[in-house]
Amino acid sequence: MGQTMVEKLFSKKNKLGKSVMAGDIVEARIDGMMHNYSFHTVIEQAIKAGFTDGLPKVFDKDKVFILNDHHQPALSQALADRSVMMRRECERLGITTYVEEPGIAHQWMIDYGYVRPGELVLGNDSHTTGYGCLNAASTCISKADAFYALVFGEMWFEVPRSIKVTLDGHYPNYPISKDILLTLAGKYGDDFGAGMSIEYTGPLIPQMPIDSRMCIATQGVDVAATFSMFPCDGKTRAWLESRTDVPYEPLTADADATYEKEIYLNVDEMPFVVAKPHTLGNVCPVDEVRGVKIQQAQIGSCANGRYEDIEIAARMLKGRKVAKGVRFIVSPASQPVYLQCMETGVAQAIVAAGGQFITPGCGICQPKVGYMSAGETCITATTRNYRGRKGSLDANLYLGGPLTVVAAAVAGEIVNPREVFREL
Amino acid sequence: MSFDLNQPVSGKVWKFGDSIDTDCINPYYRYPDPAELRKHTMESARPEFASQVRPGDIVVAGRNFGCGSSRHGKVLFEVGIVAVLAESFSTLFLRNGISGGDMVLAVPGITGIVEDGQTLEIDYSKGMVRNPSSGKTLPVRRYPPMIENLIKAGGMWPFAIARLKAESQAGKS
Ligand code: SF4
Repeated sequence: MGQTMVEKLFSKKNKLGKSVMAGDIVEARIDGMMHNYSFHTVIEQAIKAGFTDGLPKVFDKDKVFILNDHHQPALSQALADRSVMMRRECERLGITTYVEEPGIAHQWMIDYGYVRPGELVLGNDSHTTGYGCLNAASTCISKADAFYALVFGEMWFEVPRSIKVTLDGHYPNYPISKDILLTLAGKYGDDFGAGMSIEYTGPLIPQMPIDSRMCIATQGVDVAATFSMFPCDGKTRAWLESRTDVPYEPLTADADATYEKEIYLNVDEMPFVVAKPHTLGNVCPVDEVRGVKIQQAQIGSCANGRYEDIEIAARMLKGRKVAKGVRFIVSPASQPVYLQCMETGVAQAIVAAGGQFITPGCGICQPKVGYMSAGETCITATTRNYRGRKGSLDANLYLGGPLTVVAAAVAGEIVNPREVFREL
Repeated sequence: MSFDLNQPVSGKVWKFGDSIDTDCINPYYRYPDPAELRKHTMESARPEFASQVRPGDIVVAGRNFGCGSSRHGKVLFEVGIVAVLAESFSTLFLRNGISGGDMVLAVPGITGIVEDGQTLEIDYSKGMVRNPSSGKTLPVRRYPPMIENLIKAGGMWPFAIARLKAESQAGKS
C-alpha cells in the first residue's frame, strides 16, 4: 500500500526500523533539535532535577541549535542575564550552533542551512512547522519533550494522517501566501489540519518562491497541523546549494497514498481576504470590511517578515504616503533580510513614505513593541490575531497579506488593494 | 496533582467555546509573573473565571482547545482545575498535557452532554464520562500503553530522568 510523506519519514526514522502507517505510535530518531530564547528554562529545570551543572548531555552537539531570538538586543535585565546562562551552557556542552542576534529562530533555521529535505527536525516553538517549506518534517514539541529530545535525540509520535492540498493557478508578482492560508482556514476551519500532516502539491508550487512556501508552512500550526510540507524541487535545491553541504534525501508521497481529506484551491479565483478579530478562522473577503478605520498596520513575524513581504510594501509606496494617523511598522525576520532591504533601497523607500522599521525579532507579533489601546484597530501581516495579542483586550486585530496591509496603511482604512494600487 | 489513571474524579464544569487560544489560557506576554498570570488565566474568554474557580473544577470546551503557541496549560491545573475535556485539542496543547502528566482528554460530543455549572464525573479506567444530573454518558478513548506509561511516570520530565539514571547504572555495571 502506498505511503504519504510522513509515513515514509517515520518508516525511515523509527527506532525499530519497520514500515509504519498513520496511527502507529513510534519512537523516532531526530535529525535536529532547535531551542529558542527560552532554553534557559530547560537549564533551570535540569538543575532543579539534580544535575548541578545543567543538562547532563546533548545527543549530538552538531544537531542541536540554540537560537537566542525573540528579543535582541536584550529588552530587560533578566533577558540579558539569561543570555549569559545560555552562552555558558552551550560552551560547556560543546554545542556548535549558538546564535544571538536580532531576528527570529525559524528564519535562521532556513537562512543558515540548519535544515534539509527529508529530515525530522523538532523545535520548542509552535511555528517550527515552517521548515516544511524545504520538504522537512518539522514540528513543535512540549518543553519537557524538548529536554528529552535534546538529551536523547529521540521522540515519540503518533504517525499523523495526511491531508492533500492541491494549489492551482498563477502566482502573481506579489505575495499571496497569507491569502491562501487564510482562505483555507476560512473555508475549512481554523483546525482543518487537526493533528495531521498537510502535503501541498499542484501546479502553483513550482511558481512559488521559498519565502512564500515558508509563510504557509509556518502557519501550519495555526490550522492545527502537526506537519506542513512542500515538495522538494529545483527552487528548494537552489536555496540549499549555498547554505549546506550535508547530503539529503527528499520525501515524496506514493501516487496511491491514503489521504484523510483532499482540498483543491485555484488562486486565480481567490479574492484578497482578511481574518477579523479574534481568530484566524474568522475570514472574509476584504471587500466585506472595507472602510474599517485603522491606527496601525504591520508587516513582520516568522510568517511574513521575509524580503518578498517587505519589498511589495516598498514597491507600492513609491510615490505614495502612509496615511496621517497610521503607524506603519515593518520588522524583517532576520538581519540578512534587513540588510537586503537596505541594499536594495526597500528600507529607504518605506521610511521615506512614512513607515518605520523595528529591529528584527518577535516584538512586532507580541505586546512588546507597538502596543494597541482599547478601541484601536490594527491590520497585520503577522501570525496571530488573538484577543490581547497586541496589548488591550479591546483592540481589534485583522490579519491580512502584506499587500492588503500596505493598502490599508495608504488609505487609512481597510480596503481592497486593487482600489489603491491601480497598477496591479 | 498529576493524572492518576485509576482515580475517578468529579467536579463542577466551566464550559468554553471553540478555538480557545493559548494567549487566553496562558496570557504570559501580558503577565510574565506566575502569580499575576494565575489571576488572569481565561480572562479574555470569561473574566470571572480566575477569581471564581475552585479546586476540583473541570474545564469543558469545544473544538481546537489550546490553539496557538507552544505555551502549556499548567496554569489551569495550578488554579485548581483537575481535568480538561474538549471536543478536540490542538496537537501541541494535547502533547503538552501528556508530557506534563495532566488529565487532558479529547472526548468528541462532550459539549452536548453537560452544561456550564453542572457536575461531571470522569472515570478514565472505565473509559467513561457521565453527567449525573441527566444520566448521559460518553466513552473516553484510552491512550495507547506507551503514553499511559509516560503519564504514570508523572510526565516527560520524570520519564527522562528515569531513563538517564537507568543508562548511567547500565554504564557502571
Ligand atoms: S514572530 Fe511571533 S509567532 Fe513567530 S516566533 Fe516570534 S513570537 Fe512566535
